[in-house]
Amino acid sequence: MTVAAGIGYALSALGPSLSLFTAVISHKPFLILILLSSTLVWLMSLIALSAVWRGFIPFKTAAWWPYALLILTSVASQEALRLFLWRLYKRMEELLDAFADRVSKPRLVITDKMQIALAGGMGHGVAHAVFFCISLLTPAFGSATYYVEKCSRIPFFLVSAMIALAFVTIHTFSMVIAFSGYSEGNRTDQYFAPVVHLAAGMLYMRSVPILKFEVSIAISEGVSSTTLLEIREDILIFRRCPHLQGIPIAPKNRVSPTEDGSLAAGGPSAYDYHLRLGPKFTGAIIIVTQ
Amino acid sequence: MEGGSILETIGQEIIGVMSPVSICMLLVVLLVYTVYNPSSSAAATTTIRTAANLVYLESPNDSTAQKLEGAILNAVVFVVIITIVTFLLVLLYYYRFTNFLIYYTRFSVFMIFSAMGSSILISIIQRFDIPVDAVTFCVLLFNFTILGTISVFSNGIPIIVKQSNLVVLGIIVAAWFTRLPEWTTWVVLVALALYDLAAVLAPGGPLKLLVELASSRNEELPALVYESRPNVGRNSGARDSSLGLLVAAGLGMSGDNNSGSVELQQIWRDGNTDGTIEIQEREHLVIAVGENERTNGGETEDVREDQGETAPLIRDVDLTERLSRRNDVDNRSDGNRAPQGNEREAMEMEEMNARGIKLGMGDFIFYSVLVGRAAMYDLMTVYACYLAIISGLGCTLILLAVFRHALPALPISITLGSYSTS
Repeated sequence: MTVAAGIGYALSALGPSLSLFTAVISHKPFLILILLSSTLVWLMSLIALSAVWRGFIPFKTAAWWPYALLILTSVASQEALRLFLWRLYKRMEELLDAFADRVSKPRLVITDKMQIALAGGMGHGVAHAVFFCISLLTPAFGSATYYVEKCSRIPFFLVSAMIALAFVTIHTFSMVIAFSGYSEGNRTDQYFAPVVHLAAGMLYMRSVPILKFEVSIAISEGVSSTTLLEIREDILIFRRCPHLQGIPIAPKNRVSPTEDGSLAAGGPSAYDYHLRLGPKFTGAIIIVTQ
Repeated sequence: MEGGSILETIGQEIIGVMSPVSICMLLVVLLVYTVYNPSSSAAATTTIRTAANLVYLESPNDSTAQKLEGAILNAVVFVVIITIVTFLLVLLYYYRFTNFLIYYTRFSVFMIFSAMGSSILISIIQRFDIPVDAVTFCVLLFNFTILGTISVFSNGIPIIVKQSNLVVLGIIVAAWFTRLPEWTTWVVLVALALYDLAAVLAPGGPLKLLVELASSRNEELPALVYESRPNVGRNSGARDSSLGLLVAAGLGMSGDNNSGSVELQQIWRDGNTDGTIEIQEREHLVIAVGENERTNGGETEDVREDQGETAPLIRDVDLTERLSRRNDVDNRSDGNRAPQGNEREAMEMEEMNARGIKLGMGDFIFYSVLVGRAAMYDLMTVYACYLAIISGLGCTLILLAVFRHALPALPISITLGSYSTS
C-alpha cells in the first residue's frame, strides 16, 4: 500500500470527523478536553472488557455464535458506559451551571449540551476508528496491498476504512441522541442508540462468513443506518430550537431565563449554524462517496 | 464566536499547554518513524557517548540482567550529574550570576539549533533526497539559528515565534535522546521522573530552592520555559507600547520617579510573570533579562540540558494572589472584556501577562522521548502512550489549579506512559 493510498484510507475513515472537529470542536477548548477524556474512557472500557474475554480468545470453533456473543457483550458494555457517562455528565452540568452563575455568563444552552454530547461521541468514534482501522494501515506500508479471499473486489483496507467510517458516525451521533433521550425521558431516543449499535455490530459480523456480497451489504446497511442517525439528529435539533423555525420563543421553551426572546430577535446564533452544518455536511460526504 | 458561552473559556489554559506538547510529540514520532527507523538506518548501530552512557554502553548482545544492571548504573550516574549541575545552577543564581547564566543559556541554545539541528536536517535531507546544496543549506541554517536564538529570549518578537522555536528546540533534543539504547532510555526516564518529584517537592530539592529564590526576589525563574498565553484580551500591542514606555523610563531615569513611571514600574514589577522582563530594584530601573539557564549542545554535555529542563510547572502565584478575585481564567477574561479605567487597565496588564501556564522544556523533551521510543515498537503503542501522557498532563494541571504552587510535571505522565507502553 503506497503512502498516498494509506493517507487516502485514513482520511476516508476519519475525514468527516476531522471536518466536524475543525468546524465545531476546535473552537471551544472545553470540547477538546471532553473529546480526549471520552477517548480515554472508551479505551479503558475496552481494555477492561478484553481482560474479561482474555481467557476465551482465540475461539477454536468456526461457528458464528461465540462471535455473536462477543459482540453482544461488547455492545452491552459500551451502552452501559454510555449510561455511566450520562450520570457523570449530569453532575458536570450542575458544576458548569454553578460556575457560569459565578462568572455571570449565560448557563448552558441546549446547543451547548448537544455540543458536549457530540464531542463525547466523537471521542468514542475516533478511538474506534484509530484502533480498528488506522492500526491496520501503518504496518502495511510498502508495495502491494491485501485482499481478503471472501471479498476479492475491494482491498481489505478500504473495507475496514468504510466500516470504521460507519462506526464513527454511529458513535458520534448516537451519543447526542442518547443524551437528549435521557434528558427528556424519550424512550425511542433512549433505545435508538443501543439498537443501532447492536445492529451495526451484528451486520459487521455477518460479513465474516460466506458470501462476498455480504460485505458490501453490510457496509451499505451500516452507512444507511448512520444516515438515519443524522436525519434523526437533524430532526432533534430542529425540534429543540424553535427559533430556527422562525417561531418566536416563548419563555418556557428556553433553558436559561436570561435568553428568552433575545435569540428570536437576533436570529440564530453562529454556533447553531455550525451544529446544523455538521451533520448535513458529513451526511453529504458519506452519500457522495457511496 | 459571540455568545460568550463558558465552553469557550474553560480549559483554555490546559489546551494552550497540551497542543504544543501534542505537536512536539507528533513531530518527534514522524521524525523517528521516517528518519531514525532502527531497522533501516545505521544510527542505531553506532552508539553515541553521552552523559547518559558514561558507565555502560549497551549492545544488543548482552543478557537481560546485564542490560538492566548497566541501565540502572547509567541512570544513577545521569541523575547524580543532573543533581550536581542543578545545585550549581541554584548557587550561581543565589550569588546573582544571572548574566552568566543568561549568556551561557544563549550559547547553548545556539549550539543546539546549529549543531544538533543541522545533523537532524542533514539526515532528513538524506532520507528524502532533497536537492539542496551546501551553501544554501548553511545560509538557511544560519538564518534559522539566529532567529531561533533571538526569539527564545527577547520579548519584542511575537509570542508565536518564540513558542514555535521552543517546540523545535524540544523536537531536536528529543530526537537526539531517542538515539540512546533502549533499556537505558526507559530506566533514565523513570529515574528522572523520580528525581523530578524529589527535586520539586522535597524540602531540600534544588528546583524547589530555585523557585523559592525566584519568587522571593520577585524575578522570573531562570529557565527555558514554554509559556502559553491564551489570546483573549489585549496582547502584544499593548505590551509593546508599555515596553517602549518602560524602556524610555528606564533610560531616562536614574532612580527618581515621576508618578507615571512609578506606576509602570510597579505594574511591571508585579507583572513578573512576563517571560523575560524584570526590573531589578537595586539597579535603578535597569531592565534586565531574567530568563536564563540551560544547556548546551554537544554530546558529552547532554546532561546539562536537563537541569533546566526539569524545571517545574509553574503557575504564577503571586500575581493571582494580588488580584482580588479567585484563580479562575474566566474571571480574568471577564475583566479583560470590560476595561474600566486605569485600575482595571493596570490589572489587565497584569492579567494579560499573568495568564498562561508555564511548562519547562524538560517536560516537553522527556514526553517526546517516551513517545519516540514507543514509536520504535508500534504505532498503536504510540497512540496509547500519547493518551496516557496527555491524561497525566491533564491530571497535573488540575493538581496545579488545586495546589497552586510549582509541581513536577514528569512523574504522573511518565508513569502512565511507561505503563501503557509495556
